[in-house]
Amino acid sequence: MLNPILKTRSFTITYALSWLVIALLSTVLSIFVYHQKSLLVSVTDSLIFNALYATIGIGIWYPVYYTDLEKNKITNFITNHLASSSLAVGLWMWLGYLVLSVLFKENVEYLRWLHKTIPWRVGIGFMFYVLLISNYYLMIYYQNFKDKVLRESELKALVKESELSSLKSQINPHFLFNSLNSISSLTLISPERAQEMVINLSDFLRYSLSNKKETLTSFENELKNIDRYLKIEKIRFGKRLNVEQKIDPGSGKLSLPALILQPVIENAVKYGVYESTGQSNILIESNVYENLLEVKVGNEYDRDFLVKKGAGIGLKNVMSRLRIQYNRDDLVKIFKTDNTFEISLRFPQELATNP
Amino acid sequence: MEKIKAVIIEDEELGRELIKNYIKTLDTIEIVKECENGFEGAKAINELKPSLIFLDIQMPKLNGFEMLELIDDSEKPEIIFTTAYNQFAIQAFELNAIDYLLKPFSKERFTDAVNKAVQRINGSAPKIATQSVSKLISQPITDKLERVVVKSTNKIAVIPVDKIRYLEAQDDYVMIYSSEGKHLKQATMKYFEENLDENDFLRVHRSYIIRIDQVNQLEPYGKDSYVAKLKDGTAIKISKSGFKTLKEKLNF
Repeated sequence: MLNPILKTRSFTITYALSWLVIALLSTVLSIFVYHQKSLLVSVTDSLIFNALYATIGIGIWYPVYYTDLEKNKITNFITNHLASSSLAVGLWMWLGYLVLSVLFKENVEYLRWLHKTIPWRVGIGFMFYVLLISNYYLMIYYQNFKDKVLRESELKALVKESELSSLKSQINPHFLFNSLNSISSLTLISPERAQEMVINLSDFLRYSLSNKKETLTSFENELKNIDRYLKIEKIRFGKRLNVEQKIDPGSGKLSLPALILQPVIENAVKYGVYESTGQSNILIESNVYENLLEVKVGNEYDRDFLVKKGAGIGLKNVMSRLRIQYNRDDLVKIFKTDNTFEISLRFPQELATNP
Repeated sequence: MEKIKAVIIEDEELGRELIKNYIKTLDTIEIVKECENGFEGAKAINELKPSLIFLDIQMPKLNGFEMLELIDDSEKPEIIFTTAYNQFAIQAFELNAIDYLLKPFSKERFTDAVNKAVQRINGSAPKIATQSVSKLISQPITDKLERVVVKSTNKIAVIPVDKIRYLEAQDDYVMIYSSEGKHLKQATMKYFEENLDENDFLRVHRSYIIRIDQVNQLEPYGKDSYVAKLKDGTAIKISKSGFKTLKEKLNF
C-alpha cells in the first residue's frame, strides 16, 4: 500500500510545508541555542538535515504499515520500531554528516560544532521518528474507521434490501389477485370448488406467512405446500398445467430451508404455463444421496417468447439463501436446453441439523 | 335496439366464465366469441368485427397490448381491460380504453364499464372522454419493448428485440431486420426510438435505428457522414449527430 502522504496531493503539500517550518525552527535553534554564528551555515545545515529526514520519513511508512498496532504483541511492536528507528536515525545522521562535511570541509569551526551537536541531533531524530509514526498510526486508524462506517452502512442497506425482497417474494400479488378472481368466478358457477380453493389458498398463505425463512422444515412439509400452490394454479389454468412427481419415499423426512421450493416452482409455472398456449409439463423429482437431499424441478419453455423482465430474480434469491444457510455455493445446478429448463437443488443433511 | 357484439379475450377459463356470468343479465351486449389467447383474439376481431372487447393483458405469447398492435386502427373495437396488474393502467388509457378493471372486480363495477361502453358505441358519449385521464397522469410508460409483433398477410411474427439488428424507415412503415429475416411493420421511427431500450438501440440517422452491439466498425463516408459496418456486413448510413452519440455509447 502506498504511503497516504503521497496518495493525496494536499497531504503531500502539508507534509512538505511542515518540514519547511521545522527547518526554520531548527535554524533559529542552532543560532540562538547552539551559538552557530554564520547564518548561511546554519540555514544550509538545517535545510539539508531536515530535507533528508523528510525523505526518510516517507519510508518510515513501511515499518508502520507492516507493524499493525492491533495484530502485534507489544514487545514485538517495540522491537520492530526500535530497530527501524535506529536504522532511520543512523542513516539520517550518516548521510547528513557526509554531505555537510564535504560541503564545509574547509570550515573547521563548523565541523567541530557539527561533532558537538551530534548527540542532540540523534535525540531529535528519535523524537521525529516517534512523531511521524504516531501520525501514520492516526492516519491508519482514521482510514479504518472510515472504511468501517462505509461497510456498515452498505451492510445495513443490503440487509434492508434483502428483508424487503423476502417480504415481496413471499407472496406474488398477481398470483393472489388472479386466484381471488378465479374464486369470485367459482362462487357463481361452482360454490363447492370455490370453497375448496379458498381453503387451499388460506393454507398456502398461512404456511407462507408463518414460516421464517431461516428455519428448516421437512421436505414432506414443503411438498405439501407446493401441492396446495399447484392445486390453485391447476384450477386457474386447467389442462394447460400438468404436474408429474417422482418422489423418493426416503426423502420425506429430510430437511431443507422452509419456503425454498416455492420460488423455484413459481418460476417453472411462470415460464412454462404463463407463456404457453398448449399443455405445459412440470416435473418435480426428489432423490436421496448419502447425507444429501436433491430436489429437481423441470419445465418446458418457448425460447422465442421468453420474457426477460424480472427473469431469474427469484432463482438468484434461492441461490444466495442456500449459500448463506449452508456456506457452500455448489448446491444449485441449472440445465438448460432450447426448450427445457431444469434446476437441481441439493440440501446437505449433516450440516442442516447444526446450522 | 340491436345487442352490441363483444368478444372476450382472456387466457383463464374461470375469468371468461365470470364475464359471461355477469353479462347474462344485461340485455345490451352479447358475447359472440371467447378467445384463449392473443392470436385467437386478433383473428376473432378481424373476422367478427365486434364493437367491444374484454381484454386481459397478461396472456401467453402475445399479450393484450401486443395483440392490439395487430389490429388496424379503423377496425379497433372499444376496449375494457381486465387484469390483475395495476401498472398498465396508464398505457391502457393512452389507448383510449373505456375502462380498466382490476381483478377481482364486482358486478357493479363491471356493469358500469359496460354501460360506459354502450354509451360510447351508440354515440352518446364523446370518444375522447377518458383521454383526459392519461393526460392528467404525466408519467411516461417506462417499460421498454421486449418483442415486436408484425402482421403479414397470413401470419403473425413475434420478434424478440434481442434478435433485431437494425430498423429502416420506409414511408409509413418500418422495416425490421432481425436474425431471422425482415419484417415490415406499420409504425413510426419515433415509436421505436421511444420504446426500444436506449441502452441497446440508437437512432443513428433519420432513417435508421441500429442495435448498438451489432456495430463492427465505423468508417468515414464522404465529407460529413459516416457508415457503420454491422457484424453481418451491412453498411448503415450515420448522420453527424448520430456518429457523435454512437461514439460515446461505444466508448471510443
